[in-house]
Amino acid sequence: MNEVRMDRRLLAFLYLLAFLLLWEWLLPVMALTDSGYLPLFLLFIVLSFVLALLRCKWWLSGCIKVIYIIWALHNTATDQLLLSTETLHHLLKDVFSNGAAIVAGDWQGITDSFRTVLFFLLLWMITYLIQHWIEVRKSILLFYVLTILFISFIDTFSAYSAEGSILRIMIVGLLLLGLLFISKFAAENEQVIPGGVFAAISLPLLFFVILGGLLSSVLPQHDPVWPDPVPYIKTMAGGTANGDQSAVSTSGYDPDDTRLGGSFTEDDTPVFQAKVDNRQYWKIETKNTYTSKGWEQEFPEDEEVFVFVPGDVMGEPIENSQNETKEAQLKMTETYPFLLYPYGMQKVFTDDPHVQFHQLQSSGHYRTMMGNEEAALTDVTIEFGEPTYSLKELRATSMKDLESLGDEFQSYLQLPDQLPDRVRELANSLTEERESVYDKAMAIERYFKRGGFVYARHDVAIPEEDEDYVDQFLFETKRGYCDNFSTSMVVLLRAAGIPARWVKGFAPGEIVKNEGGKSIYQITNNEAHSWVEAYMPNVGWMPFEPTIGFSSTADVTYDVERDANTTESNVTEQKKPEQQKKKTQTTKNESTFDLGKWMSGNKWKSVVIILAILIFGWLVYHLRRKWLPAVLVRMHRTGKLDWHAFEKQYKSLLRQLDRIGYPRAPGQTLRAYAEEIDNYFGGDQMRILTDAYEKGIYGKNIVDHNWKKLREVWEDLINRTSG
Amino acid sequence: MNIAGKIQEILNNIEKVLIGKREVAELSVTALLAGGHVLLEDVPGVGKTMMVKALSKSIGADFKRIQFTPDLLPSDVLGVSIYNPKEMEFEFRPGPILGNIILADEINRTSPKTQSALLEGMEESSVTVDGRTIQISQPFFVMATQNPIEYEGTYPLPEAQLDRFLFKLKMGYPSRHEEIEMLERAEKNTPLEKLESVVSLDELIELQHAILDVNVDQAVKSYMIDCIAQTREHPYVYLGVSPRGSLALMRACQAYALVKGRTYVTPDDVQYLAPFVFSHRMILQPEAKLEGITTDEIIERIFTKVRVPIDRIH
Repeated sequence: MNEVRMDRRLLAFLYLLAFLLLWEWLLPVMALTDSGYLPLFLLFIVLSFVLALLRCKWWLSGCIKVIYIIWALHNTATDQLLLSTETLHHLLKDVFSNGAAIVAGDWQGITDSFRTVLFFLLLWMITYLIQHWIEVRKSILLFYVLTILFISFIDTFSAYSAEGSILRIMIVGLLLLGLLFISKFAAENEQVIPGGVFAAISLPLLFFVILGGLLSSVLPQHDPVWPDPVPYIKTMAGGTANGDQSAVSTSGYDPDDTRLGGSFTEDDTPVFQAKVDNRQYWKIETKNTYTSKGWEQEFPEDEEVFVFVPGDVMGEPIENSQNETKEAQLKMTETYPFLLYPYGMQKVFTDDPHVQFHQLQSSGHYRTMMGNEEAALTDVTIEFGEPTYSLKELRATSMKDLESLGDEFQSYLQLPDQLPDRVRELANSLTEERESVYDKAMAIERYFKRGGFVYARHDVAIPEEDEDYVDQFLFETKRGYCDNFSTSMVVLLRAAGIPARWVKGFAPGEIVKNEGGKSIYQITNNEAHSWVEAYMPNVGWMPFEPTIGFSSTADVTYDVERDANTTESNVTEQKKPEQQKKKTQTTKNESTFDLGKWMSGNKWKSVVIILAILIFGWLVYHLRRKWLPAVLVRMHRTGKLDWHAFEKQYKSLLRQLDRIGYPRAPGQTLRAYAEEIDNYFGGDQMRILTDAYEKGIYGKNIVDHNWKKLREVWEDLINRTSG
Repeated sequence: MNIAGKIQEILNNIEKVLIGKREVAELSVTALLAGGHVLLEDVPGVGKTMMVKALSKSIGADFKRIQFTPDLLPSDVLGVSIYNPKEMEFEFRPGPILGNIILADEINRTSPKTQSALLEGMEESSVTVDGRTIQISQPFFVMATQNPIEYEGTYPLPEAQLDRFLFKLKMGYPSRHEEIEMLERAEKNTPLEKLESVVSLDELIELQHAILDVNVDQAVKSYMIDCIAQTREHPYVYLGVSPRGSLALMRACQAYALVKGRTYVTPDDVQYLAPFVFSHRMILQPEAKLEGITTDEIIERIFTKVRVPIDRIH
């Protein structure tokens, strides 16, 4: 019926415009998710559009796209040979593990390659939809509106700035809309507009769109007269309320912590490899002065610098480290002029005997020096005895012992004057029922894991001038990364009267290899971490890990009689959070996945998932003309052969024809409609079916039919409608 | 009796002499079966007479022709009583209306008095002369023609009288190759002479009874009524289709379904026949006439609007 085909050149131009619009979608997605490979995705879109333009058969274009996706995956993720058995094995494993992860709702557990595949599929669907909108519907308004909504949403609520994007979208989108309207208008009137005439008709459109674009970029823009509602909306949605989020930093060690907060992008540049028996936290330094915006280190005037040479006994004396001596070999990729050391460091060895280690007592910072120059070491071997803490002794710590501490501990209780009272109140309410210092500290640590906090690297607020970093995190945003958690815990500990300091360094990293009974851990800039040390009277400084998703390596010996105290669970929790995590995935009866809780904790994620489900559902519904006939045929094949079945078949055929773009006008008789359909598809199936249907409907003859033949004809026709 | 076969025979027979007029032939047979009459509105020489003669020959009926002129009197149509001096009494001489198939040529040329004499006969199937009522023998089929281009000295039929005709048809010119074929056939002989009857009058009456068995589904009936209601409500229409028009439409549809070899009426029949049934039964508003909108256009608009029933009414 729709015989008027669009001009190839025009179609190519329309696809180009649609491609530009899609590009605008990809830009923020790429910027916000830190995924690279934008050209790969763009190339995929180009490929899809070119195939559509060439009127490629669906199976051929499908094959090409699948091959492209495999190639792209191969290009990005794996370095194995294409289609080797190993790849296949890897692929299958990947699919299973990701399937399991999706079922368990563990979105973090999905591997990157699988995510890429999903993203490709999404792009595939979108390009298909755009093709449909451009060629069949000749209307792209929905996509245009969605683009604008998406970009303005992203611009408003995320760090991405869409300043130029909006203008580009406006020009490209309006042009696309206008051109499509002209061609739709031509098609409706069954006219073929020659290329030259089309260009002439489009000229005014082009003129006005460009004029509009120019005007909007040149004319002065006034600030809104109403107050900015965005922070309020964000608070309502549980996101970050305040602060300027435009500051996006990169992960890694940075000695300056005076202003914390803000998003950061991931950076997986390797820093060093550590060959060691088990997971270790790699400490660099501690800081003691909280400024309500970040951390500073105050060095006493008479700060003594201890100098060690390789082989000397150094490190903090830890009373309980009677353990066997272990060895850690560090191979630095990134060179720092200071030591990265595990807890319980005793001796440091390095090839160069002229190296000196200058320890700043107050911060635990070991500078590596060659003469008077700072020097960076590449290979370091550290001998250390992993400290163990006796739970018995920890439980024996009391607040009274803290009173007798010397003045040097005052700096570990420092808090800024402007610290809001509610922080102190929170610290009190968390700790007042606990007896020992250790239990109080544990209560605070546990609060972070249970208090509805969200670990996130994006959309993390930076406190305004009159706001407190900790207060904002604890009471308003509840969203952040290690700095938020550790700083807040230090402040809470101090508010509860427990000396505490803020530690910087690197988290244990991931095992990349096992070698001679030892593991080699790879530590990248992403492992840059901060945690907490609290002072346990008679025990010493003990590390705590408040950040969600991290587990402390502190070895607490379980040497207390079973007394059904809560402490027991604390210890288990502290020691085996990873195991627990695994358990939740495999055995459901042990700890069921609470959807409601998860959703309240991951509001944005759940919104995205619900949206994705909705979009998917809509797509399935929208594309039902493609899959429904097959289902109908299967359904009716087993059914009875009588008038009722035939009536249903005929009606479903009418609906299907309507879906594929051949609707029957209300005033059109079935016979006239059947002729139209047969003219389009060729043959006379619709007439045969319609004759039988009319005989039943108007002639009341619902017996005298060859049902079997009618069903065959129906199957044939309805199958053709989906082709 | 093979109803469909018989009807096809009649149509084929007519087609032997009248080329490319299958549609008009079908409609004429439809009207004949439905017991209605046809008003043919067309220019002279397009085969109106040929058509009626062929039809009457095919059914072996008594064919009469009345050429209407301004001085024609009702008695010229109905018949007259003449004094027979031998018998010493008045004797009735039947007029041309007392035949089976009557061609009333140029009906708008005669005076209203004569016109109404004919129309009354058509409606009542009987004539009254000198106080005597004479039944007209069945089948009775009048095909009246009028010339639409001459207005000088004509008496246009009043709307109330037009209602008596089941259909108002147009013959139209034959197409180029049809006309060539017509010339070729006429070159050697006059085909009408050779035409033989294919159906007897009794069989025709049987056919007329058969249309009553054609099923008109409840849904189709309401569809007809919906459309007719629209003609009465349409803003451009001054006078819509009367209930007599509704009856006529249903009868016509039944007969047409039979002509098409069906035992049930479909909405297609309604849509197809409606213009022929409605166009002379409707009067448009003066504005519509000013805007150049015709009755057929309005009927078409109505049919695109009214929903065709595609479900059974249970």
